[in-house]
Formats: sequence, structure tokens, C-alpha cells
Amino acid sequence: MAYKKPLPRINGDNREFWEGCRNHELKFQKCASCGHVRFPPSLVCPRCLCRDVEWIASAGAGKVYTYAVYHAVYHEGFREDAPYVVAVVELQEGPRLLTNIVGCSPDEVSCEMPVSVVWEDVTPDISLPLFRPSV
Amino acid sequence: MLDAGLCRNVLISYGHNALSSDSLLAMLMDFAGDDAVFGHFGATGGYALAARRAMHEFNTGPQTWKHIAVGQRAWANLNPHAVMHGMPMSFDDYLSSKYVVEPLRLPDNCLVNDGGRAVIVTTLERAQDLKHRPAVILGLGQHNPSVQVTQSGTLAGSTGARKACETALSMAGITRDDVDACEIYDCFTYTVEVTLQDYGFFGPGEGESWFSEGTIGPGGRMPVNTSGGQLSEAYYMGLTPLSEAAMQIMGRCGDRQLGPATNTAEPNIVLVSDNGGILQAHSCCVLGRI
Repeated sequence: MAYKKPLPRINGDNREFWEGCRNHELKFQKCASCGHVRFPPSLVCPRCLCRDVEWIASAGAGKVYTYAVYHAVYHEGFREDAPYVVAVVELQEGPRLLTNIVGCSPDEVSCEMPVSVVWEDVTPDISLPLFRPSV
Repeated sequence: MLDAGLCRNVLISYGHNALSSDSLLAMLMDFAGDDAVFGHFGATGGYALAARRAMHEFNTGPQTWKHIAVGQRAWANLNPHAVMHGMPMSFDDYLSSKYVVEPLRLPDNCLVNDGGRAVIVTTLERAQDLKHRPAVILGLGQHNPSVQVTQSGTLAGSTGARKACETALSMAGITRDDVDACEIYDCFTYTVEVTLQDYGFFGPGEGESWFSEGTIGPGGRMPVNTSGGQLSEAYYMGLTPLSEAAMQIMGRCGDRQLGPATNTAEPNIVLVSDNGGILQAHSCCVLGRI
């Protein structure tokens, strides 16, 4: 069955991130000058404006910074998911990532809850980094 | 521009068929970008993320926001132009209403409506012989932290409201104690709380106590959003609060007029706010009688 939810729009900035996801690797840019690990991917470091980067692989562990439980359905692709949890996860390496919390009921989610990445392969080219409570 | 003589009068207007067309929804859906991949859309979701983080950092939530929704609805019931005129709301009504994006319920959200609003700015000299006493711009301030909601580490505040208000009060040469009423940009109930909190009316987590006992409603000691606001009158972006402040100062508000008619202070000084994005931009204006 065809995937019914929106897909990320791949461009020159985010291609490496999404190619990492396809290999189940959460990859972030790390500034070669000041060491700041950033997201979303960008041409220059937002802290020091340096253009040189290395890509690092995250361990995929973090905590919930904040979250919201969607009861309203804004897009048909999410109708069967509601109520579902959209969260901002703060990774141990520093960046914050908008994602979904899965593998538990919305009532069980809380701010600062430890979470770990899980991968959802939605098309042959796209895998989404989602998070579940850490065991 | 007015002082320099480049123009004589400035019209600030807003109109939108937001209810009878899909243009507002289309605009908000377009804002989502790749957040849509995870089902994150519109403004309610972004403010829900901010409100949830605030609930983690200090005492707030539905027990605070119910006072804002119900207080503003009471004002709307004195305003025949309000979309929600004739539709009273109790605390039970609020607490039993459905979630849109939890923790925000339907009455935590501003209205979607057709309509428009406008104000005219002119020189004080020109305003002297107008039909109504003028609402005079006494102070202005802006502060725009402008951090994207999904990247912010300070989602619970303080917001740009703090510095914007300090700047505006300083320009006006007044203090917060001189303020008679507030017209606060109220896209959501929580926005009213965090704005008044950052304006210094109460400390983080003290909102529930400050709002209780009808503080902001008719007869209250600090009237807020006296038309019903965007939650209960109509949504005209920043012109809902700005036009209501001007109308109150001019004395054109009928049954909801501040002063003896509503057992409130005379509106000599009214604090007005505007807010953009998800708490990313803030503007504060002091309007008053001179």
C-alpha cells in the first residue's frame, strides 16, 4: 500500500542527513572550528560562521524536551494514528530534532523522559528517525 | 513619516476571508515544511510544544488557562460584534471541551473568522479636533528572539515580551503600576499568560493565582482583552488588540466600556501586545490619554 504521509524534501543541505537515515544512521554536522553539533544541516555554523564541517553519527539516545499530543487530524495520512505524539528530542550530542514518540501511550510521555531512536522504513529511499522510551 | 511631513494620515488595515476560504489553512500547512513528515502542522502544535514545556518548568496548565478563556468570553458577551457574543462559557464548559493538540483545547485557540479591522494614525496636532479624544502612542518596544520552535532551548520563556515591554514603558516614562488595562495578542490562552508573566505582572507559575477571582474580566482589577480578544471576539492579527485599546481610550466601547460602566479603572494607560511566529517576535505599545 502506498505511503500516505508527507515525505521529506531532499535538497543539497539535507541530503547527507536523509542518506544517513536510509542506512539507519543519525548523522549531524559538527563544526570543524568550534565543535558545535547542529541541526538542521546548514552551509555555515550558526555559532561561529565557519563553513568547514565533519559529519558525525549520533548514538541515537536523548530525552524528550517537549511534546504535544495531536488529537486533531490535519492530514489524512495521520487519521489512524491520532492521538499521536509529536516531540522535540534533545540528543546527547546536543541537537534537537522534531520527531514522533512511539512504542508507548501518549499518557506515558513526559518532558525529560529518556528515549532512543527507532527506524521506520517508509519507502525504499526514506527511513524516519522516531523515538521510543529507553529500556 | 508623519513628523517628517511625508504623509498626513496612515491607514493600517487587515481583512481576511479566513473562514469562508481555505487560505488561512493553506498558509499554515505551507509553514509546516518537513515538520509535516512527523504530522506537525499549523500554529496550535507549535504553541502546544511551548505550553507543554512551560507546564514542565513552572505551575501552569488548564487550571490557569480556564481563567483566561472564561474571562475573555465574559467581555465578548458585552460586545455585540463578537463572534462568540451570546455564548457564555463556564469553567466546566472549558474543562470538558475537546483537545485540538493537547495540552491545548478548542477554547484555548483563537477564532477563525471573516472580517477586517483598521486604525488611522495621524499627528497629535491633527487629532486635536477629531470627534473622539485621540488614543496617543506613548511608547513602543520590540524584541525578537526568533528561535525556531523546534530548536529553542528556552521554549518556556522568557519570550521577547520582557525586553519589548521594558523598552515601551521606558519610552512612555511610566511603570507597570500605571497600567489600567491590557490588550494582549491572544492566539492562544497560554500566549496571554506568558506575555503578562514576561511583562512582570506575576512571576513564573503565579498566573493561576493572579488570574483567579475574575482579575481580567468585567469588574476585574486588571481588565484584559476587553472585546473578547482573538479567543472570543475575532481574529484580525495584531489589529484585534490594537484597535480595542484605541476604542477604549476614545470611549467608544458601549456596554464593555472601561470605567464606571464596567466597574473598572478609567483607561488612561493601556498596554498592547503583538506576537509573531511561535513566540519568536514581540511588539509592545503603550497607548494612552493625554
